[in-house]
Amino acid sequence: MNHMERAMAALTNEPVDHLPAYPIACGVNRNLLPGNVTYHEWCTNPKLFADAFVAGHKYYDFDFAIGLMDLSVMAGDLGAHVRMDEENTPFVDKHIIHSVEDYEKLEVPDIKKGRSGVILEGTKIFAEKLKGEVITAGFLEGPLLALTQTAGAERVFMDMFTNPSAVHAGLKTMTDYDAQMVEAFGKTGANGLCWDYLWANYSCLGDKEYHEFEGSDKYAAKLNRMTVENGMALCIHNCADMPHLDTQVKEFKPVIYSMAYYPLIPGSPSASEVIEKGYADNCLIGGNIDPQFFIRATPEKISKVTQDLCQEVKTALCKRGLNSRYCVASGCEVPPDIGTKKENIKAVVDTTKKYGVVKC
Amino acid sequence: MTKDALLARLADAVISGKPDLAKEGAHEVLKNGVSPMAAINEGLVKGMSVVGDRYAAHEVYLPQVLMSAHTMYAGLDILLPAIPKEEVADKKKVIIGVVEGDVHDIGKNIVKTMMTAGGFEVLDMGRDVPISTFIESSEKEKVDVVAMSTLMTPTMDGMKEVIDGLKESGYRSKVQVIIGGPPTSPTFAKEIGADHRDANAQDSVANLKGVFK
Ligand code: B12
Repeated sequence: MNHMERAMAALTNEPVDHLPAYPIACGVNRNLLPGNVTYHEWCTNPKLFADAFVAGHKYYDFDFAIGLMDLSVMAGDLGAHVRMDEENTPFVDKHIIHSVEDYEKLEVPDIKKGRSGVILEGTKIFAEKLKGEVITAGFLEGPLLALTQTAGAERVFMDMFTNPSAVHAGLKTMTDYDAQMVEAFGKTGANGLCWDYLWANYSCLGDKEYHEFEGSDKYAAKLNRMTVENGMALCIHNCADMPHLDTQVKEFKPVIYSMAYYPLIPGSPSASEVIEKGYADNCLIGGNIDPQFFIRATPEKISKVTQDLCQEVKTALCKRGLNSRYCVASGCEVPPDIGTKKENIKAVVDTTKKYGVVKC
Repeated sequence: MTKDALLARLADAVISGKPDLAKEGAHEVLKNGVSPMAAINEGLVKGMSVVGDRYAAHEVYLPQVLMSAHTMYAGLDILLPAIPKEEVADKKKVIIGVVEGDVHDIGKNIVKTMMTAGGFEVLDMGRDVPISTFIESSEKEKVDVVAMSTLMTPTMDGMKEVIDGLKESGYRSKVQVIIGGPPTSPTFAKEIGADHRDANAQDSVANLKGVFK
C-alpha cells in the first residue's frame, strides 16, 4: 500500500498492510533542510515551514503531514508579546488582558499578516507539494486556547467564575478569528484541519465548564461544522492527561483524534482502553508515544516502546472487531529541540512497519 | 455569632470562592477577638483543604480551585498582619517558581496555595524564572525551602543548574530543595541532588511538615 491507500484504509477501518505511522514531527524537520535553519527562521518563513514538512515526509516516510507550528501564533498576532529565541519554541511572555474591559477590546487581526499569514501560506505550499502522496492537514488553536494564550489561563479561569460574560466576549472574537482562518485554510488544498482543544482536560475543566466555554455551538461545535463545510476533514489534537473523550470523540465526531498517554497519572486512558471503550469505532485514534523519548531514549528503547504499543493496539483492535483505526504517533509534538534524535523518529516509523501488521 | 460559626463562615467563603465574604469574615473574626491563627487554620485553611480534596477527586476543577485560592489570599491579607510577632517567628519560608524556559504555572500555583494553607510563608517568583534569580533570591531572602516546578523535559536541566549554583554559593546546606512536575521523578531528584520530589501539592505539604516537625 502507498501512504494514501494506507491512511484512507485506516480512516475507514479497512484492512491495512501495517498501521500508519506519524510521529508529530514539525519544527524538528528543519534540521533536514540545507543551511542550518533555526527554529525562528522556520516559524516565520512560509517556504521554510513548508519545506520542512516535505523533507520530513521524504526522509522518514510518514503517512500524514499536519502543519503544527506552535501555540502562540494567534495570541502573537492579537498583540501579545511572544518570546522568540533562535532555537526554542516561541511562547507568550506578556499577556494583553489586564482588566475585564480588555476582553471587549480584542479585535481579529489581518490574517494575511503575522504568523497567521505564515502558517496559511506555508500550509498551502506543503499541501500542494504533498498532494496525492500523503494526507495533509492544517493546524489551528481552538478559541479557548487562543484566549488563554492571550489573557493568561488563570485570569480566564477566574473570570469564568466572576465575569463569565467578559470571557464570552473574548471567546466570540477568538471564534470569529478562527472562522476566518477556517475559510482561509479551506483554500490551501489541505485535506483536513486539526484543532487544538487542549482545555478539554479533566485536570483543568469539567464537562460543564468545557461545554459552556468551548464545546458549545457558539464556539467549537460551530467551527467543527465550518471545517467540514469548507471541504476539510475534522481532526482534533489534545495532549491532555485526561481528555474529555465523550465530548471530543463521540460528540464532535472527528475523523482523526490525536492524543497522549500519561502512565503515571491515574485515569489517563491508554491506547487499549480507548479502543475497548469504543472511541476508535468511528474515528482514527493517533497516539501515544511519550514525546520525551525522542530526546532521552536510545533508538533501541524507543523501538521497544513502539513495538509494545503496536502489540497493545493490535490486540485491542482485534478484540473490538476492528481492522485498523489506529495511527502510531507521538502523544504530542516531537520536541523541536536540537537534542531530538533523528534515529528515534525513524525508529518509530520503521518499527511500526515491521510490527504494526494487524492479523486477527 | 459564636467562634465556631465565624470560623465556619470563613471556610464556606473559601469553599464557595467568595473573596468579599472572606474579607468580611476576617474583619468580623478580629472584631470578636478570635485568634487570627485559629481563623486561618480552622477557617480559611480548612476550606482550602476541602477544595484541594475535591479537586483531587475531580469533583471541582481549576476555575473553582483558583477562585478558592484567591479567596483564601484575600482573607490572609487581613489576618496575617494581625498575628502576634512571636507566633509568626517560626514560619518556614519557601521560594517557589517555574524554571527558565517554561511558562506552565498552573500546577506551581496550586502547590503555592496549598503550602500557604499549610502554614508556610511562600515567595512566588512566577514562571520562566532565570536560574540566577532562584540562586540569588534564596540567599537574600534566607529561605528554608527552594521549590521548583517544570512540566517540560527540555527545561528539567535548569533544576540541576539551580542546585549546582546553590552548592557553589554555599547556601545548599541551609535549604531543603524540592521539585515537582510530571517529567520529574524521585530518581531524577536524587540524580540532580534535590532532597525530594512530590507528585502533587498535598503530598508536598505533608512532606515538608514532616521535615520541619
Ligand atoms: C495547559 C497546558 C499548557 C498551557 C499552560 C498554561 C499555564 N499558564 O500554565 C499552554 C497552552 C500555555 C501550554 C503551552 C505549551 N505546552 Co503545554 N500543556 C498543558 C497541559 C495540557 C496541562 C498542564 C496543566 O496545567 N495541568 C494541570 C496542573 C494542575 O497539573 P500539573 O502542572 O501537573 O501540577 C501538579 C503536579 O505536577 C504537581 N507539581 C507541579 N509543580 C510542582 C512543583 C513542586 C515543587 C511539587 C512538589 C509539585 C508540583 O502538583 C500540581 C498540583 O497537584 C499539559 C499536558 C497535560 N498534563 O495534560 C501540556 C504539556 C505540559 N505542554 C507541553 C508542551 C510541549 C507545550 C508547548 C511547548 C507547546 C507548543 N508547541 O507551543 C508550550 C510551552 C511553552 C513554554 N515554553 O512553556 C508538553 C510538555 C512535554 C515535555 N515533557 O516536554 C505537555 C506535557 C503536553 C505533551 N504531552 O507533550 N501548555
